[in-house]
Amino acid sequence: MRSAFVESSFLPFLLGAQNEDGGWGFHAGAVSRAEPTAWALIALIECASRPAHEEAAARAARFLGAAQLPDGSWPSAPDLKEGCWATSLVSLALLGSDDSSASAKRGLDWLCQELPGEARPFQRFLRLIRPKRKIASQNPSYFGWSWTVGTASWVEPTSYAILFLRVAPPQWLSADAQRRLRMGETMLFDRMCPSGGWNCGNPMVYGVPGEPQVAPTVWALLALREHPERPEIHESINWLESNTQSIQSPASLALALLAMNAYERPIAGLAERLQTSYEKIETPWSVPEAAWAALALTDTQHWWKRKSEGEDR
Amino acid sequence: MPRPAPSLIPPFSRPKSRVAIRQSLSYQSDIAALLFETLREFDLPVQGKTVLLKPNFVGSDPLGMTNTHPAVIAAARESFLRLGASAVLVGEGPALERDTQLVIETVSLREYLGPLSRIFVDLNVDDVERVALQTRASRLKELFLPKTLLGADFLVSMPKMKTHHWAGVTLSLKNMFGVVPGSCYGWPKNALHWAGIDRAILDINAAVLPDFAIVDGIVGMEGNGPIQGVRKPSGVLVLGNDPVAVDATCARIMGLLPEKIDYLARAATLLGHINPAQIEQVGESISTVRTPFAVLDAFKHLRSKS
Repeated sequence: MRSAFVESSFLPFLLGAQNEDGGWGFHAGAVSRAEPTAWALIALIECASRPAHEEAAARAARFLGAAQLPDGSWPSAPDLKEGCWATSLVSLALLGSDDSSASAKRGLDWLCQELPGEARPFQRFLRLIRPKRKIASQNPSYFGWSWTVGTASWVEPTSYAILFLRVAPPQWLSADAQRRLRMGETMLFDRMCPSGGWNCGNPMVYGVPGEPQVAPTVWALLALREHPERPEIHESINWLESNTQSIQSPASLALALLAMNAYERPIAGLAERLQTSYEKIETPWSVPEAAWAALALTDTQHWWKRKSEGEDR
Repeated sequence: MPRPAPSLIPPFSRPKSRVAIRQSLSYQSDIAALLFETLREFDLPVQGKTVLLKPNFVGSDPLGMTNTHPAVIAAARESFLRLGASAVLVGEGPALERDTQLVIETVSLREYLGPLSRIFVDLNVDDVERVALQTRASRLKELFLPKTLLGADFLVSMPKMKTHHWAGVTLSLKNMFGVVPGSCYGWPKNALHWAGIDRAILDINAAVLPDFAIVDGIVGMEGNGPIQGVRKPSGVLVLGNDPVAVDATCARIMGLLPEKIDYLARAATLLGHINPAQIEQVGESISTVRTPFAVLDAFKHLRSKS
């Protein structure tokens, strides 16, 4: 079941914003890129109710297939020749699309081979020989995934990768891939802010606690949903719940709704606030944010569930 | 037509720069009149041009010490329009918060600028264009930069006066990290850190040097900046046609030695002046507005004795 607003607003917006090449830019009329196309595709697959939605999704999958780099990754912009965090999201989107699993598998292989900068042998060697400067509180031996090749692990790209690996067919996950997944989860728990919630990945700098932010908290919570019993999860959901009242932007409202629904902690009036915020918005709608809102206002959440968890993806 | 790459000129053949220091103790004062009068003295080539103001927006800022204050942005926008600019846009790509709308709400930008749909550009998600770098100070060879930035005729960097826990200070040159789009490099734009922050500042500015700088030093931040520091009222606005000279002047106001700030020393070789003899100073003198900023231990060597 989904809100009528998804049917009347978000799906028509996504259909109207799709480019001729089958992709989406960050806004209607912008050049097609991997990440917004992945989010639009995820939303269309989750919410499709008409042949036009399925046709748009098929065109998007074709665009993404053509945009894949020879090493299996996806770049953040068309002329870039290097993979990035979008690889997790595109692979996740393609898992839900017919005939695209080979591309998603190549994306998974790239993700599992790609080490963030701090996990590479030279950086580990430098950490051994350099004098210790304790600036941040996190354990540098825990790593996840970076935004771009060769840079450090951060909360959001690590969460995106875990979300995808958790949904990918189990037979795709080698022992190494499973180790990477567990290490990524360990890194996320290590990077949680002292009072619960996450920011981009700096829980404490020079002894000062970092402020949590909505988006990284939501992505980390969705990535760590296999651990609902952990106290860190409770603290973080509590932080999110206590902060939803003050959220003033549609994107963060949509993400908060997604996470609270995923953890079965519905907040009265949150869906209505999200809808109202979109009715008032004056700036052009963002494609990824509209996709998040459509997903948040839809009851089924196949996109972050493995097939065996119940329903068809 | 895209912005031409800035000319890289060594200090001995570069004309003198001009920097104005204006005292303004509060955001409730008539900043628009102050900025307009000062900008008029610079005789800037903005008639019929598109001006892009690049403030520094980070996120939640209940004490008003982190983000460029919207009153200063609104005053600058009004001033450039009065000077004949055909359009004055405001563009920013926050480094740590992907939800730019959330940042805009936090900053209360709409309350000062009115409806934003035709004014504000989220540089993080703008369409991008590949720019080959003129310098090779860092490991970066090219950058993908927002088309709105590259299409602007006149670029104004509008930072907050703050210390920075990696770079020493963050002023108009460091503020240019915000034009590098998160949609290409992530949140934060960690590729710039791995390339070497000081050197990346030089490479970015050698690709898209601001034509003008307006530093909001009415209230700044000292100590563990740019986010977790302490509120520091300094009561100044610093403006100039050379962002290097503006930053050097701000450093002196903050009680710091610009020649010891790594990226400023590098920038002085190609992009602008830090030598006071090459900076025509108007308005208040540095000594009358000097407000020493506390720095982390790692930057104690930046402190001036006087």
